[in-house]
Amino acid sequence: MKKTHIVLLILVVAAISAMSAAMLNFSTYETFKSASAEQGKFFHVIGFLDKGKGIQYDPKTDPNKFTFYAKDKSGNVSKVIYIAGAPPQDMDKSEQLVMKGYEKDGTFYCNGIQMKCPSKYKNKDMNVGDNS
Amino acid sequence: MTTQFIGEHLLPGRLGSFFVVLSFVAALVSTFSYFKAASTEATDIEASKTWRTLARSSFWIHALSIVAIFVALFYIIENHLFEYQYAWQHSSRDLPAKYLLSCFWEGQQGSFMLWMFWHCVLGLIVMYTAKGLETRTMTIVGLTQAFLGTMILGLYFGKEIQVGDTPFQLLRVTMQNAPIFAQPNYMSFITDGNGLNISLQNYWMVIHPPVLFLGFALTLIPFALMIAALWKKDYTSFVKPALGWSLACGAVLGTGIMMGGRWAYESLNFGGYWAWDPVENASLVPWLVLVAGLHTLLVYKATGRAFVATVVFLLLSNLLVWYSTFLTRTGVLTKTSVHAFTGDGHALYYHLLLVIAVLLLISLTLLIRRWKQLPTIKTEEDVLTREFWMFVGAAVVFIGSLHIILVTSEPVYAPLIKMFTGKEPAPAINVMQSYNNVQVWIAVVIGLLSGMVLYFKYKKTDARTAWRRIGTVALIALAMSVTIQYLQHITMFQYALMLFTCCFSIVASIFYGIAIQKAKFRNLGPVTAHLGFGMVLLGILLSSYNKHTISYNTAGLSLNMGKATAEENARESNENQILFLGTPTAMGDYFATYLGDSSVPGKDKRQYFRVRFDRIDSNTHKVTESFMLYPDAFINPKGMGLTSNPDTKHYLDHDIYTFINQALDKSKSDTSQYYTHSLSHAGDTIFLNDGYMVYQGLKREINNKNYEAMQGDLPVCAAFRVYNLQGFVQELDPVYVIEGNQSTLKVEDTVHSMDVYARLDNIKVISKDSVTADIAIRQTDPKDDFIVLKALVFPYINVLWAGVIVMVLGFFISLGKVLGGRKKTASE
Repeated sequence: MKKTHIVLLILVVAAISAMSAAMLNFSTYETFKSASAEQGKFFHVIGFLDKGKGIQYDPKTDPNKFTFYAKDKSGNVSKVIYIAGAPPQDMDKSEQLVMKGYEKDGTFYCNGIQMKCPSKYKNKDMNVGDNS
Repeated sequence: MTTQFIGEHLLPGRLGSFFVVLSFVAALVSTFSYFKAASTEATDIEASKTWRTLARSSFWIHALSIVAIFVALFYIIENHLFEYQYAWQHSSRDLPAKYLLSCFWEGQQGSFMLWMFWHCVLGLIVMYTAKGLETRTMTIVGLTQAFLGTMILGLYFGKEIQVGDTPFQLLRVTMQNAPIFAQPNYMSFITDGNGLNISLQNYWMVIHPPVLFLGFALTLIPFALMIAALWKKDYTSFVKPALGWSLACGAVLGTGIMMGGRWAYESLNFGGYWAWDPVENASLVPWLVLVAGLHTLLVYKATGRAFVATVVFLLLSNLLVWYSTFLTRTGVLTKTSVHAFTGDGHALYYHLLLVIAVLLLISLTLLIRRWKQLPTIKTEEDVLTREFWMFVGAAVVFIGSLHIILVTSEPVYAPLIKMFTGKEPAPAINVMQSYNNVQVWIAVVIGLLSGMVLYFKYKKTDARTAWRRIGTVALIALAMSVTIQYLQHITMFQYALMLFTCCFSIVASIFYGIAIQKAKFRNLGPVTAHLGFGMVLLGILLSSYNKHTISYNTAGLSLNMGKATAEENARESNENQILFLGTPTAMGDYFATYLGDSSVPGKDKRQYFRVRFDRIDSNTHKVTESFMLYPDAFINPKGMGLTSNPDTKHYLDHDIYTFINQALDKSKSDTSQYYTHSLSHAGDTIFLNDGYMVYQGLKREINNKNYEAMQGDLPVCAAFRVYNLQGFVQELDPVYVIEGNQSTLKVEDTVHSMDVYARLDNIKVISKDSVTADIAIRQTDPKDDFIVLKALVFPYINVLWAGVIVMVLGFFISLGKVLGGRKKTASE
């Protein structure tokens, strides 16, 4: 079964290299501070929208950009500029944001946001009576 | 002390709960009886038959109970019995009837029920067709049903431990602490339900889940047959049924997955049909492993080799369906998936882990105990054989699926990585690319093998003939791929290579089917399936490689499968364009003009935005082509912000795909000012932003649908005719009412298409012949009305959809042959 073994060996090597390639591709979760140690490098940062400061979006000047402030898990607040489009749905209701981007000169530039939203029946008011 | 509640309908829920328990008990009885029937088969035929009769009838009871549960729950949803949490949470009164079924799948229990329902249907077929393997196969089917049954039991052990969730739970029980449920007449306050998630209100969502779950359910039968074969030590009689069921599963699960892709393409706005999202991966991987198993099964059938691989693949396929359920339903992926269903807590987490552990334990124990006696062939196989390369192909598909599931599962083993590296691992920055970079090589190999393997024969191949044919095919494919590569500007090496192997697979399949199989329909299954698969790969390649955004100013190619450089991010960042009302804006080869929306404020939940695309000849400046697209959005439904659905213009060779990213919420922009005009003569004109309105004088007969005549009212209206730049639009009659000489009421009238609001503010009688009417006009400034649009072009996406259909057709032709062959042997 020599030839079969050789082919199997090749396949196993291919499998291992594919898996390790995948592993090497994984990014890491950082905070604003640790991300700023490597300026310009992409990371994931978990944070929370500072709802008091709101989301600034003016599609008339640039429909692909908006700005907000987020607090990361260690409590640091940073300005975040999203450079890939309009604010996603429900962003102002999000419980948590996973922001994909890089830190540069005190600002976090991001091009991907994953939101965790309150599950719809925990936080949504029930329709009680006729709200007239 | 119990409160008597008023207005509840408890009967359907009680019946439903009864059938939930009955179905569970019947499944247990059936499993046990089948087990007894199986274990007495060899020793005591009479006892075995008695057990089998009992088992069969309990399975029937089980199946009928499942149907009864379905009916009860549907009755609750259809009649809007919001005292039930399921109906309240997933439906509402205004939901169109066609989406009532979708309410089932939105919830956890409904989809478990759907899964069980299909198992019942398949179980009944197996019951009457599996013959010698029936008792053992059905033991596994029954056991699975019992496991699934626990998911909807809703049993409590003490206060902490809950097993399953019943779909018949009352709202007042789930929300015990809410004060309104202390009132006996609470039902009179609950007038409407929460409603169905808007992205599920799409016709694909009515049929995609049933098909997908039938696909999931179908993986159970090959699994059960393999267990039965190992258990009975009968390594021959499972082959035919396993082949038939695997083919059916390949066809149905494949269809289900791509229906999901089509749904995503049509109603989600992530810009495509596939995003390597965990939920998508979780259904793709079982299919891939099943297809690998199908091929090794064919090898086993023809040569007696690859038995172990077949067992492993077919068992894994079903286990992976369970694992997928675990991944997508317990919330382990909430960080990484856009649409992983939110976790329903730890109960389900451990529940599913337990089920997987038991099934895995059964599989492994049997496999290990039978290991020494499994059929193997000691001689070395020839390299130039179909079985050898089919096995290699199956192995490569399996590696590909391992890669997908390993990357998808990253959040599951993230804590482990953290222990070693000290850093919390996250998914790749560019997720699509991290999958594509590995999967492209899998596709290259599979494309090549799926074409080549046809030309080898089992056991012994005439090398010269085979290579001559393959060489011819390769030459044609090379010519085809070079042409496409040139026309489509495919420059990256690995994708050019993939293009060649796709073409090779397509040409090889067609050539083999026509030249060698002489187009005998009965035998064309594999060739058709491989042709379809080649087309799928080609369609994916063409539509993704040159997928480009036209809604940014610098038109050009963007390699979405390319590198994650700063330029790409910059490009990515300009993909939205703002369209002001009535202002043509260049988009690719077109000028796009936003012409307003279709909504009637307060009436429609969904707004359709009218966008006209004109292609203008650069020399003659004439419009050569013009079409409308109506991307729509729910503006602010229940305070949820904007939820948009794309609209797509389909051409034979490409699609133009648009969706709204932002639009004006008119309910919030109501602050725009009124301007008052005093008019005294018929014929006086008020100019509007995009037209004018002509005063016709005051009238006593009222033609305003907003006004309802009341006794004692004295209504007067000011009549107008409104014109836009094209001509007459409609009449406009704001009304001024004196109610019984006391108060006054002003009823506005509107022209929605022009966004004009008019109010008759005052009537001044100066003399008998001179009456002045004060008209207040409000109209939104076109600069205040805009949409932010994203428009993409998907070239040759129809190759993909056609490929899916061809591939599924291939599965069915093969299935027809397996079934037909069986009939023949039966009649002989």
